[in-house]
Amino acid sequence: MNHMNLMLIINLFNKIKNFLLSKHKKNVFNFIFTLILISLVLRFLYWIFFNLNWRVVTSNLNLYAFGSFPFDEQWRPTLWFLSLLSITFVTIYGPKWNWLRKNLLFGWIGTVPLGIYLLKGGFGLTPVMSRNWGGLTLTILLTSSSILFSLPIGIILALCRRSSLFLIRKFSSFYIDVMRSVPLIAVLFFGQLLIPLFLPFGVEIDRVWRSILAFTLFVSAYIAEDIRGGLQSIPKNQIEAANSLGLNNFQINFFILVPQSLRIALPALTNQLIGLFQNTSLMSILGLMELLGVSRSILANPEFIGQYIEVYIWLASVYWILCTIMAFVSKKLEHKMTTNKGY
Amino acid sequence: MRFIVKVVYISLRHLINCRKSQRMSKNKKLIIQIFLAFILFGLSWILVNNLIINLIRTNIGFNFNWLIKPASFSLAEPPLPYSPSDSYAWALFMGWINSLKVIFSSLLLATFIGTLIGFLRVGKNSFFNIITAGYITFIRQTPLLIQLMCWYFVGFLSIKNNSFLNIRNIFNISNTGIEIFGLNLSSEFSALLFGLSIFSSAFIAEVIRGGIQSVPVGQWEAYRSLGISEKKGFVKIIFPQALPAFIPGLTSQYLNLAKNSTLAIAVGYSDIYAINDTIINQTGRAVECFIILLFSFLILNLLITKIMGIINKSIMRTRI
Repeated sequence: MNHMNLMLIINLFNKIKNFLLSKHKKNVFNFIFTLILISLVLRFLYWIFFNLNWRVVTSNLNLYAFGSFPFDEQWRPTLWFLSLLSITFVTIYGPKWNWLRKNLLFGWIGTVPLGIYLLKGGFGLTPVMSRNWGGLTLTILLTSSSILFSLPIGIILALCRRSSLFLIRKFSSFYIDVMRSVPLIAVLFFGQLLIPLFLPFGVEIDRVWRSILAFTLFVSAYIAEDIRGGLQSIPKNQIEAANSLGLNNFQINFFILVPQSLRIALPALTNQLIGLFQNTSLMSILGLMELLGVSRSILANPEFIGQYIEVYIWLASVYWILCTIMAFVSKKLEHKMTTNKGY
Repeated sequence: MRFIVKVVYISLRHLINCRKSQRMSKNKKLIIQIFLAFILFGLSWILVNNLIINLIRTNIGFNFNWLIKPASFSLAEPPLPYSPSDSYAWALFMGWINSLKVIFSSLLLATFIGTLIGFLRVGKNSFFNIITAGYITFIRQTPLLIQLMCWYFVGFLSIKNNSFLNIRNIFNISNTGIEIFGLNLSSEFSALLFGLSIFSSAFIAEVIRGGIQSVPVGQWEAYRSLGISEKKGFVKIIFPQALPAFIPGLTSQYLNLAKNSTLAIAVGYSDIYAINDTIINQTGRAVECFIILLFSFLILNLLITKIMGIINKSIMRTRI
């Protein structure tokens, strides 16, 4: 009897062991882990929404969006945001009219001067000093204008790096290598402290413009490398075909090679854009009032002192959402371009 | 005058010339290059001239004599004996060693975490796949600076009581840092270490994933059809083939990590950039400090690329 019992127990034990260590094992473990994870996430969400004091964010939303932009003029940055959103929407979901698609690029380029005009004022609008720009407005301005300026410079640097002229090739590769080996904060620091020293007496550039210049210098080197990768992956017989059609160098470069390399380099360029958008937060160390700078000044306010958790969770989610939107847009664009490849 | 106009025209036309042109003669090339060298020289001459005028005007001048003067600022955690009466050069060297310390320790930690996450990302377990994908996207889509500040201000400085986690006095986390086996890591260093390694680990995980996926599917099928177990097949067959594909991606991620370590200034860790910043605030010698910063980063980059080159060579040797 005793022996039978023991056998039964051993059998049962074996069965459980088999069940746990067989193909079911993975499912069981996954189930348990999922339960634990869901409970942790729920607890975390509960803690975020009910245990934290969100007044530090809700009472400063205006500051986060526009910085210390005058209250009566805040429709200007809002209008700019709306135009950016609408052009993004049109790019992804808009109709496939030919004239629209042809002019979308100019629309995108035009958003930057429009933004600068709306922020700066003049010509009918009240001028606003650049030290009043801040928050998300400044972050997006820094990102968009730096990428707009650095894209053509990057393309030219990439082409120069493949030039047959020794001096041009060496100079552009020297520039690219030096810029890529220096940390961004050093370049930004160069922009803030050293650029005034290189200018003639009496000429001054605004702080925001100096930082845009520094970002442009830095990012164009990275963009050049991405585009060079795209250029290298274009087969040689494209150039031969273009030559046999009688195109000159300029036409070959700008109508055949650059458009294709841009399409190939699009994922890498999006990564650069996202990286640049995140890196604008470095300007808070050098004293600009962009998203992180605004938060630092809010945290220095005695009313909200020590509320780091709320502010950092808020900032991280803002950056995360905006970066995810950019990645999404680029994925859509990539999809569009590859489907158009057929004809 | 007509000659100059002609040269400008030709050089503009051939400035961007991506293939070996048969049409351009050697003389033309030489003339264009001399002309360009002239332009570059003139541009840099104007800039340097402006710089010299400005330096004279502000009474700063340009020399490196100040390097041997006493620094007269104290450091929170010097790696070697240091006092405020030591020279600026010694302070800069301390910063360089501090940078090296944080770069190499976070490089090791980031490689460890990144490899683990990369393996889980390509593994068969769908639960871990989802978790690691979420981890990678979340870490990559938030700025490093915010992560660092989060680690420092939320992670370490907001620990209210003296100790957050204490295991028999061997492992102790408190608001002054981490203590393991008597080794005391300051809170600044540990915040930087964790922030940098967690941030880089997400990128390294992607490199690892790309490397493993670059191994042809036939290899997996082959070892399975030979009856080799999954574990042994992965370790002995897939991993060695994926190793060479890791190296270039890892090198660029390590270089990025080294460059990102300059954000130490945000958490108050005295690395090479932070010390340069202090010296500039004290003495106003921005140009010299910038040159020093440039060269110290060139040396760091050379160091990392050399080490990775040696590793790459050894991998390639064992492979054949």
